[in-house]
Amino acid sequence: MSKVAVVKWAEPGVEDGLTSEQYSAMLAAGFEAFGKPDFLAKMLRRNRPDSIEKGLFSTPDSRADVVGIKTNCLTRRNATPIALAKALARALTGSGFDENNIIIWDRTCWELAQADYKINVSFSGTRCFGTDANGVGYSEEFYGSGPVNSLVSRILTEIVSHSINLPVLKDHWLAGVSAGMKNMYGAIHNPNKYHDNNCTPFCGHINHLEPVRDRHRLTIMDAVNVQYNGGPGYKGQYLSFYGGLIISEDPVACDRIGVEVVEHLRRRNRMPPLQAAGRPAKHIDAAAELGLGESNLEKIDLRVVDVDGTGSVSEGELLG
Amino acid sequence: MNRRTFIRCVGCGAAAAAAQSGLLPEFLGGVQNAMAFDYTKKLSSVEARHYKKKPDGGIECGICPRHCFVTDLERGYCGVRENRDDTYYTLVYGLSCAVNIDPIEKKPLFHFYPGTTAFSIATAGCNVNCKFCQNWEISQVRPEQVDNLDLPPKALVDVCRQRKVPTIAYTYSEPVIFYEYMYDTAELGHRSGVKSVMITGGYIEKQPLAELLPHLDAVKVDLKAIREAYYRDVVGGELQPVLDRLIQMKESGVWLELVYLVVPTLNDTEQEFRDLARWVKTYLGADTPLHFSRFFPQYLLKNLPPTPQRTLETAHSVCRAEGLEYVYLGNLRGHPSESTYCPGCGKIVVGRRGYTIYEYNLKGNLCRFCEKHIPGLF
Ligand code: SF4
Repeated sequence: MSKVAVVKWAEPGVEDGLTSEQYSAMLAAGFEAFGKPDFLAKMLRRNRPDSIEKGLFSTPDSRADVVGIKTNCLTRRNATPIALAKALARALTGSGFDENNIIIWDRTCWELAQADYKINVSFSGTRCFGTDANGVGYSEEFYGSGPVNSLVSRILTEIVSHSINLPVLKDHWLAGVSAGMKNMYGAIHNPNKYHDNNCTPFCGHINHLEPVRDRHRLTIMDAVNVQYNGGPGYKGQYLSFYGGLIISEDPVACDRIGVEVVEHLRRRNRMPPLQAAGRPAKHIDAAAELGLGESNLEKIDLRVVDVDGTGSVSEGELLG
Repeated sequence: MNRRTFIRCVGCGAAAAAAQSGLLPEFLGGVQNAMAFDYTKKLSSVEARHYKKKPDGGIECGICPRHCFVTDLERGYCGVRENRDDTYYTLVYGLSCAVNIDPIEKKPLFHFYPGTTAFSIATAGCNVNCKFCQNWEISQVRPEQVDNLDLPPKALVDVCRQRKVPTIAYTYSEPVIFYEYMYDTAELGHRSGVKSVMITGGYIEKQPLAELLPHLDAVKVDLKAIREAYYRDVVGGELQPVLDRLIQMKESGVWLELVYLVVPTLNDTEQEFRDLARWVKTYLGADTPLHFSRFFPQYLLKNLPPTPQRTLETAHSVCRAEGLEYVYLGNLRGHPSESTYCPGCGKIVVGRRGYTIYEYNLKGNLCRFCEKHIPGLF
């Protein structure tokens, strides 16, 4: 069974977004929902690659994990919230990871900057930059899964040992939803070659590329304000408050739950289902067929919890 | 905590660690120079042609048979056209990422002013993804991933006139995807006495091609195979639209030559050569030049050997036996089949070695020996 935790903020008055402290409380509840408060540290250490040779600040005798946090900054007003990235970085440092070995990244520095991320390419602190930063770029070798081959961001191929995906859940005119797996389009040099046939099976192919698949550890999907129609470009009239984070080690299961949320919000706003709108999120089943995870709802172990301002946690409802 | 506090929080400390660290030298050495520049400002924002706005949002591009449906902030398959708020833009107008003055024979165009040069340009992007692409470093990337030279149509035409280069060649990647740039340059060039040739895969829609052809002097089409499956599996496109456009080009009267890259084991059977020759003879005419080109391992087909010379010679003899009059072998320097022979008397009318013309026996379009008409622009 693939495990997915959905953590919902249970207090009103946060429609404009959550603070980093509120996200921290949600992350803590989410990690507890996986059975242990130190889930994050244990999970990353359990998945430590054999071949870690260099952290950003490693010395020959201290080899370090480097954690990459992949944001989605395609649109300025519906980007991965800085408060969430910050809460995650804090959770990582709180779990014993060196802040110097944390990189918040996306395709370009400009996309990060337009979403108000501060580019940090200095010699200290959590770094923040795009694949286009001088000296980074894409892999020299092509990676393939399916007919299209791609160069992959060197952030994934050479720099990080773990990748945590921080997408924003939204509707997507072609893929049905843009969730975790779709966010990895921002990790390759030629995403335009992967959109045919509602991104199917191409979205799975990207996530099946060796560096993407092997570095992936966790998806933490922002579903606080969800654009249930007209995505991926920002259309404020279709934003609806859901107040959740969707967390899973399984990228397919996480996206499957994301689809449930988008469909729920579409129903609530009298929009037709994605299938009827001509964009079924069929890339999710195709990704499951590639062995990337579980798309069958019945085989997903879903835990939904509500968190309030005091940090207390109670059972919640996915579509409540 | 506000944003500034956050930045301070995550950016604090570690100076001591930095001082004694073993950084990824090749990585951080460059990263410290990174800037969050707006890459979209380095690209063009010229409205694209031949697209339709969809009633429910999004646009449909009609330049090539892919007919990409593109939503806000997304790009078409070629990667050089972007929807911004349901207006479609070409991002590469006036932005050449490859610029060279080449012999016209390099295109190859053998019946088009032999011995002259072509000012050759390309932008990033392509509407197919041939596994053997020689120029994938520009054709299979997005325009912000290459260095671009600002060379708008007027500057391009002016430089040709100043340097007395008679022809502009739109080449290297796939000019169909920089249609607007090519169209405006070709049109301006004609008004200024500069010719234009398009070196293309021919994967373009009927109407854009019809509008473009009057501004072109010659077209060279890479007909990559005569099998639909090859187009699907190796090229990532379709054969039939290319065949349809070839007929359209021929009917327009533009000068047309074909290249067929022979890839070992994938499109190199005698039957394919025969089918190709028959199709060319039937629909384009026996006097259409056909160049067979030698494959070298590239891009995603590094596992195959170069095309054996004897395979190319088989292609040549099959097509000659089928009645094609001008069959050439390329990437085989010094081979006799680089030259043009008069179908009337069999003598060399244009002798070539590589890109060099060593013998020229034409008076206008007539063979100097037997006065047979040799088609082309001489
Ligand atoms: S020109 Fe580009 S955007 Fe237009 S249909 Fe062709 S591949 Fe798609």
